Amino acid sequence: MALKRDIYRALEDVVGPENISEDPVILDSYAWRSCIIAGPQKFVQQFEAVTLPKDTEEVQAIVKLCNRYKIQFKAGSTHWGIYNDPGEPGVVKLDLRRMNHILEINEKNMYAVVEPYVIGAQLQAEVMKRGMICNITGAGSNCSALPLAAHQGIGHMSQSLSYGERNQLALEWVTPDGEIVRLGSLGSVGEWFCGDGPGPSLRGIIRGNTTPLGGLGVYTKAAVKIYHWPGPPTFSIKGVSPHYKPSQIPPGFMFRYISFPSLEKLTEAVYKIGKNEIAFELMGFNAAMMASNIATSNEEDRKIYKQFSELVQGPGTVIIIAGNSPRDFEYKMRVLEIILDETDGKSLEPVEDPKVNGGALWRCIRITASIRETCRATGVFGGEVGGTDVYSLMRDYIALSAPLKADLIRKGLILDDGTNPFTQSIEHGHCGHAETLTRYFAQNAESAKAGGELYMEVNKLAIKNHFGVPAHVWSDAIHDMYGPHANNYTKWLRKIKKTFDPNATSDSTHHISVKK
Amino acid sequence: MIDESKLAKIVGASNISREQATLEEYSKDMSFVNTVKPEYVVKPRNTGDVEKIVNLARETLTPLVPISSGPPHFRGDTVPGIGGTIIVDLSSMKRIIRVDSLNRVAMFEPGVTYGELIPAVAEEGLRLNMPLLPRTSKSVVGSMLEREPVIMPKYHWDISDPLSCTEVVFGTGDIFRTGAAAGPGTIEEQWAAGGAQKEAAGPSSASWYRLIQGAQGTMGIVTWASARCELLPRVEEPFLVGSSQLDTILDLVHWLIRLRLVNECFVLNNANLAAIMAKKWPDDYRDIKVMLPPWVLFFNIAGYEYLPEERVSGQVKDMMDIAQRVGLEAVQAIGGVSAFTLLEGVQRPSQEPYWKLRYKGACHDIFFLTLYDKIPAMISAMYDAADGAGYPASEIGVYLQPIVQGTTCHCEFNLFYNLENQSELARVKELSNGAIRNLMAKGAFFSRPYGENASTILNRDAATVAALKKVKSMVDPNNVMNPGKLCF
Amino acid sequence: MALEDYQRDMEMCCRCSICKFIPMERIEGVQYANVCPSIARYKFHAYSGGGRMGFGTALLEKRLEYTDTLLEVVYNCQMCGGCDISCKYAMEMEVLEPINEVRIRCVEESHTLPALDRVINTLRKQGTMIPGAKAKRGEWAEGLDVRDFTKQKTEIIYHAGCRTCYDEDMWKVARATVNLLQKGGVTIGIGGGHESCCGSRAYQMGYKEDFLRQAKQTIDLFKKSGAEILVTGCSDCYYAFKVLYDKFGLKGDLEVLHTTEYLDRLIKEGKLKPNKKISAKVTYHDPCHLGRLGEPYLHWQGKEVPGHIRLFEPPKEFRRGTYGIYEPPRDVLKSIPGLKLVEMDRIREYAWCCGAGGGVKETNPEFAQWTAKERIEEAKSTGAEAIVTSCPGCEQNLSDAMKGNGNSLKVYDVVELLERAL
Repeated sequence: MALKRDIYRALEDVVGPENISEDPVILDSYAWRSCIIAGPQKFVQQFEAVTLPKDTEEVQAIVKLCNRYKIQFKAGSTHWGIYNDPGEPGVVKLDLRRMNHILEINEKNMYAVVEPYVIGAQLQAEVMKRGMICNITGAGSNCSALPLAAHQGIGHMSQSLSYGERNQLALEWVTPDGEIVRLGSLGSVGEWFCGDGPGPSLRGIIRGNTTPLGGLGVYTKAAVKIYHWPGPPTFSIKGVSPHYKPSQIPPGFMFRYISFPSLEKLTEAVYKIGKNEIAFELMGFNAAMMASNIATSNEEDRKIYKQFSELVQGPGTVIIIAGNSPRDFEYKMRVLEIILDETDGKSLEPVEDPKVNGGALWRCIRITASIRETCRATGVFGGEVGGTDVYSLMRDYIALSAPLKADLIRKGLILDDGTNPFTQSIEHGHCGHAETLTRYFAQNAESAKAGGELYMEVNKLAIKNHFGVPAHVWSDAIHDMYGPHANNYTKWLRKIKKTFDPNATSDSTHHISVKK
Repeated sequence: MIDESKLAKIVGASNISREQATLEEYSKDMSFVNTVKPEYVVKPRNTGDVEKIVNLARETLTPLVPISSGPPHFRGDTVPGIGGTIIVDLSSMKRIIRVDSLNRVAMFEPGVTYGELIPAVAEEGLRLNMPLLPRTSKSVVGSMLEREPVIMPKYHWDISDPLSCTEVVFGTGDIFRTGAAAGPGTIEEQWAAGGAQKEAAGPSSASWYRLIQGAQGTMGIVTWASARCELLPRVEEPFLVGSSQLDTILDLVHWLIRLRLVNECFVLNNANLAAIMAKKWPDDYRDIKVMLPPWVLFFNIAGYEYLPEERVSGQVKDMMDIAQRVGLEAVQAIGGVSAFTLLEGVQRPSQEPYWKLRYKGACHDIFFLTLYDKIPAMISAMYDAADGAGYPASEIGVYLQPIVQGTTCHCEFNLFYNLENQSELARVKELSNGAIRNLMAKGAFFSRPYGENASTILNRDAATVAALKKVKSMVDPNNVMNPGKLCF
Repeated sequence: MALEDYQRDMEMCCRCSICKFIPMERIEGVQYANVCPSIARYKFHAYSGGGRMGFGTALLEKRLEYTDTLLEVVYNCQMCGGCDISCKYAMEMEVLEPINEVRIRCVEESHTLPALDRVINTLRKQGTMIPGAKAKRGEWAEGLDVRDFTKQKTEIIYHAGCRTCYDEDMWKVARATVNLLQKGGVTIGIGGGHESCCGSRAYQMGYKEDFLRQAKQTIDLFKKSGAEILVTGCSDCYYAFKVLYDKFGLKGDLEVLHTTEYLDRLIKEGKLKPNKKISAKVTYHDPCHLGRLGEPYLHWQGKEVPGHIRLFEPPKEFRRGTYGIYEPPRDVLKSIPGLKLVEMDRIREYAWCCGAGGGVKETNPEFAQWTAKERIEEAKSTGAEAIVTSCPGCEQNLSDAMKGNGNSLKVYDVVELLERAL
């Protein structure tokens, strides 16, 4: 269903002919399916046209045109996740690639302002030069640095660097009906330091612990909190791909993988580490993820995983200690020692090897190995994604999926990489998050189907056992599974959708729609 | 107008008042808003009562003003904006529902004050991130809903902290639980599963708690809230740094917070510190003030469960290094003011009388958020405005509170005045109106607009106003929730 | 191998966009983070490595036809391999190979661009990718006392390459190379007018049969000479002889060295002693086909093991740019007294392309120049006075981009500077 010519021409008038295309080659390249919960189907619904706006004004003009002509749109930056795809025909894509500037880095007030196509690595590199660091979403530093672009924005470093929902300051938002709203201090005094007010905070509309996944207009600029960085302005990396590592571990840094004899002991350690505020990063990898992080090939991955699974006691976590001073570092290390002693935590020795340690440290700061951990095996991955809430609850929730995963492994439907989940601690243990990863051959329809069944099963368990609304809940169908059990939150989400998107122009496939 | 019998059916006759004296108390406060008498004051006992009141109000288009703190009130948000209003006074809802030490969170009703909550959480080894010396009647829920700045910027990850989840009755009459509290399951079921109503955001892709904060009761009535707590330290060492160079002090503040060295951390001018510390008035106040440098930074270094002395000792040395680098010295007493005494003071609510009222009996606050670099200019502007209005600049109390882990600073001017002195009152009013415009022009962000200046502030951001009205239309289409406030 | 043989590789694409950037760990700022000139210029996802995996699969699935836009996207790519290397940091899949196979398929199905056809016609008629008569190929060597390996058995042969032979500006580099090798005590032979195109560019443009014809012809000539070592100063030729000829089973035991590799060897053996000072600050541009694509070809015959992780039997190693030629040119520069080498942000296996490759210079000179200008700005940002490279294609394209722009940055080949230092 091609766009009507007058609509296409109108869009062309906005962005210029070289910045819009409806050619099948262009459209099909966007339609190649995402890796997330992929099945045998290789191509998804195509967009009708792809536009490349260069600034907020062009975004607004496109959105207004979509409202006028009653066609849907969906904006995206790096286009990785499944939620970048349109759900049905008739959707125009806004590829925000041209909006790739860092607008401001304010060290004194510790924030940076970015456009959507600045990726995490770029922002991190720039702020590191200034003695600061930013959180990077767990998917990787190849994703947008905008705190609203990712699904959640939780990352490896969320222990000390929080996550997207809470790192966001002021924001510029093109609403689904084409208004520009500048939140907080930006709207009132043109400054980026605060995203809330005057009065109630509109940050409440534009995201929760998950983002609206393309269903609520376009976020064109955002300010994000940045934090102190005790490390060097640049990590001096040596080696040639894929064997990068720093020439030395910077003073005041330590990287370990610690395993525990049980989930309870891990939890106890996580809480203690959090309450004593000693960890820069506390990323609850399982042995499989640690192996994938280090390995530079699938072959090596299997070998290392076998080795690690024989060495680890049970579930584990990566921990990075970073001292703001030699005293600080020494103190943190001593406390860690005490905690590990109390909780029977043991360091995985191969990870301590200098040949491996530095590279792993840098990968877990720059967040470069998530692709190895998820996609290298077969190009796709699935599983399920918890919400954010107290760590122990998230741990318990995700533990539900372990026997279900074990069953799929037994049936040969997914990769055997153990059944330990991965967990994350946020803001020194104030909250937590957890996920179960499954890797499988996408062309195996049975595997894909089994993954879908696991997903539905954990949803039922989450509802039955009162484990909150997981982050993987999107789309009308799944929201409506939870809504009646969770205070009818769907009614309120739909009110937001209806009020702010009266013409239903923002594609809501992965958000929620207003039911007729 | 709602018939009293209908209200009595909901809350019981003893929880309704139409006494003139009572109505007069609620008809005004210490701000400069117009005096408007309510029709009733009702005191609900629980969420069920609140739900029924709101539904009744919605059906009859009766305005409601929710209040959770006791008097005196200062901002004008608790005074009815129009006639025919019912005050919903939640100050009797005083249940401390749960304190969870593992997950560092407490849940309580709106009538709970700081004085009541502090010992309850302390029993579990926890503490609250508090505002600076709240009055004894101040509701914790109320403070959090107002986004009042808190004195431990290190633990202020987000401007909404320490608020976590809420149960709210929207203007539509619906009860909604925000954040993790939404479910699935009842609160009790969630507890049984290990939930603690800690995650504030959500559920899913909206963060309703943010829309209730800063709303001055215009969205709904909160019937309980949970708040994230911090650990009670085992060892604490407070310090004071005095200087006439505010720039240098702010430099030190930046580094102390950036390196997460300090818990409590704020800056006061000599007028405010003297006002807080003075015991005998007016002599103590004058004596203390004259002995103090113009600016005093207060901060506290703390140790927790493991090796607390070592932690504190190391952090103190690191702090000293930084202080030296910027050319300042941290001490434990300045001008007769002991850092320990101040620390003890600020970890509780203000003693009576409320510290801001001790000097002259009344106080009007002007506060906003700004960048560190702009603070000196804001202060100059305020002093100039004060001179222009005939208010002695040296009498203005200044309170600078870094918030959101140092990404911005709450800047507050306290204008003390004698309520009985009409010319002083007029001067303060004139100063306030003029100063606000002037400060806004210099980039002050009045994120919490109150009273008669709210429209001046909100008018600068028409797009936000339009969006807020949309929000209002969702949760209170009949505009019964505190009409006339903000932009509603 | 055909496009179908890379279907599994293309379907491994997870849509992560890593192919658009230099490896994440190497990013040191906002500015020089892109690795792919194609998407950096044309913005639509189709122009990236991942986008090409997508429409490559679409072609196999018969979702797409050979339209003008398809050809535009296919041929606006320098075949630099940046996407391939970036992807393989984390993934195990071929990227550049299927991109090349799409071009080969286009040619097989007679979907080409006129500009490329013209180039190939010249190749077929004159044995060169650069317009020029075959007879004039050896003119660069006039006056040089150097053996003709077609007449005399020679252990070490020097291949100048089309770009050098037919561009008088490049003759000085070839002549300098011969002089230096001879100074280093090396007896070399050249093909002179008998030299013919290696075929590399033809292969990258998709003209596989033309490449194979050239390759067989060329390697026959080399074999007849008895040569054991082949030295070339052109990175495209280097890639052809070392990688492509090996891939197609043509290379035999011939040792292929780049000029800089050999010169580096001679310097380290003390046979060449740079002793004249050159006080200059320079930066080095890694040619794609010497650097990341210059590592040896890996022969593998086997199959993929079915299962939920991509494994091969026997185990398959992927070429990731790890063993490209990065250090010898740098070491040669570092051996020159007074010369200060500063590095750009994008170097070695993640270097930004000069812009000339893949037929882009012929089909879209504006894009080639745009790419070169990006590189020049990056070079200038180091404070260097000159950008030094080791490929005539790179040198020429960068020089062209500087003309008329008031640029004071100079462009040299490594060899030119070394000659001055002796």
